[in-house]
Amino acid sequence: MIAPAGSTLWLMRHELRLTWRGLAQRRGGRRGRFANIWITLAFLVFLMLIAGAPLGFALRHVRAIPIEPLSSLIGVTIIAVTFTLMLSQTLAAAVDALYERADLDLLFSSPMAPRRVLAVRFLAVSFTVFAFFGMLVTPVLLPVAVMGHPAWLAAIAVLFCVALAASGAGLMLAAGLFRLIGPRRTRTVGQVLAAVIGAAFFLAAQARNILGGAKTASLFSTVMRLSHDARFQHVPGLSWPIRALLGEPIPLLGAIGIGAGVFLIANQVLGARFAADAAAAAGAGAGGRRTKVARRMRFSANAFAATVTKELRLIARDPALIAQVLLRVLYMLPLGFVLLRQAGQAQAIALPGSAAALSLIAGQVAGSLAWITVSAEDAPDLLSCAPAPIRTLRRAKLAAAILPVAVMLAPVILPLMVMAPWVAVSAAAGCAASIAMSAMMNVWWQRPGKRADFRRRRSSSWLVGIAEFLLGLLIATATGLVAAGLAGWGLIPAVVALVGVLMLSRSDAQIAQALRAAS
Amino acid sequence: MTDALSIRGLSKTFGAKVAVDNLSLTVRAGELYALLGPNGAGKTTTLRMVAGLLKPNSGEIGVFGHDVLGDPAAAKRVIAWAPDEPMLYDRLTPLEYLEFVAGLWGVEPAVAMPKAEELLRWLGLWDNRGERCEGFSRGMKQKTALAGALIHDPQLLILDEPLTGLDAAVARQVKDLLQARVKAGATVILTTHILEVAERMADRIGIIQHGRLVADGTLDELRARSGERQATLEDLFLELTGGEAALTEALPA
Repeated sequence: MIAPAGSTLWLMRHELRLTWRGLAQRRGGRRGRFANIWITLAFLVFLMLIAGAPLGFALRHVRAIPIEPLSSLIGVTIIAVTFTLMLSQTLAAAVDALYERADLDLLFSSPMAPRRVLAVRFLAVSFTVFAFFGMLVTPVLLPVAVMGHPAWLAAIAVLFCVALAASGAGLMLAAGLFRLIGPRRTRTVGQVLAAVIGAAFFLAAQARNILGGAKTASLFSTVMRLSHDARFQHVPGLSWPIRALLGEPIPLLGAIGIGAGVFLIANQVLGARFAADAAAAAGAGAGGRRTKVARRMRFSANAFAATVTKELRLIARDPALIAQVLLRVLYMLPLGFVLLRQAGQAQAIALPGSAAALSLIAGQVAGSLAWITVSAEDAPDLLSCAPAPIRTLRRAKLAAAILPVAVMLAPVILPLMVMAPWVAVSAAAGCAASIAMSAMMNVWWQRPGKRADFRRRRSSSWLVGIAEFLLGLLIATATGLVAAGLAGWGLIPAVVALVGVLMLSRSDAQIAQALRAAS
Repeated sequence: MTDALSIRGLSKTFGAKVAVDNLSLTVRAGELYALLGPNGAGKTTTLRMVAGLLKPNSGEIGVFGHDVLGDPAAAKRVIAWAPDEPMLYDRLTPLEYLEFVAGLWGVEPAVAMPKAEELLRWLGLWDNRGERCEGFSRGMKQKTALAGALIHDPQLLILDEPLTGLDAAVARQVKDLLQARVKAGATVILTTHILEVAERMADRIGIIQHGRLVADGTLDELRARSGERQATLEDLFLELTGGEAALTEALPA
């Protein structure tokens, strides 16, 4: 059936087509797209075999999950975690809709009601967010359903309702921020907030590591304790999430009602206002953001120093980039706390593991920044015209990428030098190796892109992307082993990583040739 | 006197397509030279090779005696390149942009800052010096890029379509600025599709087609060659590039 042009269904089809093409674009060319589909299918089958099938087999004789406080709390936790993770994505999408306008001007200039345009856009956002989670959950649920629990497939419907509610909440949050702090700050705050919300449960689960102390329980033990708490025995509605997930009709209808209700109310009440906000956001951009001239760091008459200053300034003024990097830094925080706390208490068991993880994340953050400084150059011709050697400019760009990571690592590594010198040296060496590897991979395999495409960035080959991640893992393993005092064993992954890096290295001529071929 | 630009036997191919074909061209120091040609004639490719952004397949390029291919850094020191799409950083202010470009060319801040102020005032951007370029109009961006090209006092200024998309007032400002630079002794090479601009501003004109120079000289020299003493540059251009015949063929009978 072909929806008539201009109808809601027609617009929805347009949105979904754009979303699909956006996803397909992540891998260049027809071959890349096919490779992507095959990799995704292989992953889903793998997930079905290692998680879905064993779970279905284990539960095949279980007639029903008992609805008791513990299962109810697990149900609530599942919904809350999913909602929070989805909210981080829908909030980012709402902020993007305000500022990364793309076709919104065209749609708003059409005779279609802006409210309808936005409702369709947010419905498409809900579908996209749901598709990601649905893809992870379906291969696990399908074997369970086939082996005796078909009603559990209702969890997929609940997931979509959560996506709808998260989409409505994201819209409300963005509109609220817009009213509260104005168009200019909403962009930064919204994107940073989305990153923090995305990491919220990870941070909550790591509360014990961050705060320390015997009284602070981990998330799991908190759930266990609460389930036995008398106050939670008779909370009305507490069991509804798990009942809905297990396919009980009335709670399921309730979930559908809540999800659709939040979505519809948000769009009905805020749709027109959001459209006005979008117009105001465009106006805010056109006015030009003023920058305090007096407090700026000066550019010097040296190509290296001027380029470092330029890159650092551009990084600091890019809220989307800060939000993305912040997300990774948030994951780094608990590891830093673990290192410092355990070094202080002489509990050395988790120290090597944390040092390893720190080196892995440091490499990833440096890799992200190196992509921005090396590949996402706004004016490559300007630098090519400059009478400075390309190597000098490249070194400046790498220095600008590495400097913020070094500043983030210093508060962890420096105190550790006093508390646990060997672990500190191992962690510092591991982080340095990981950062150097990521940075050089971004130079050797650079692929020019736009700063705005940071989230969709890619190296010139997905194989190189995988290799970079594996090399990071090898360096992290070496770091952990050396930190644990097993320097001899640590040499093995270190040497393998070194060989891998050397195999992937490229000369300047090869880089130039690849860039010419890509352009 | 050394020529500002000397090109000998320059060729560039992209796969099977010949973009520049054994091109030879000389631009004298202190003149404003307009390089004209139909779309895809090889103008931008030629200028990108002069600016050191593209490597030719063969040929020689000299800028004020510096070999662009042999010693690109020395040549780049005296060149400024301004493409049709301004090379700007959205999140820098015009003042910061000029400081940065000055830094790339090794100009001390003490020299660069007064110069930046002078340029921004001249181009009417001084009041916007603290605003980021992201909110600028096309004309403001073009003017900022032009100021960036001038911040290091280049001897040879190469501009690709500098007037495209500019309103009359901004276009006049840019033209005045270019003429002032030429008066001050600089050499300007520009490409443009606005033939009246070339007719009124250029000391000499080069017409390029299919990567080859089909005509070169002052407007009077070009007229004398065609035997049409009253011909406009548009007439000459269409005659030399075969555009007139194509136009006649395309017209309905």
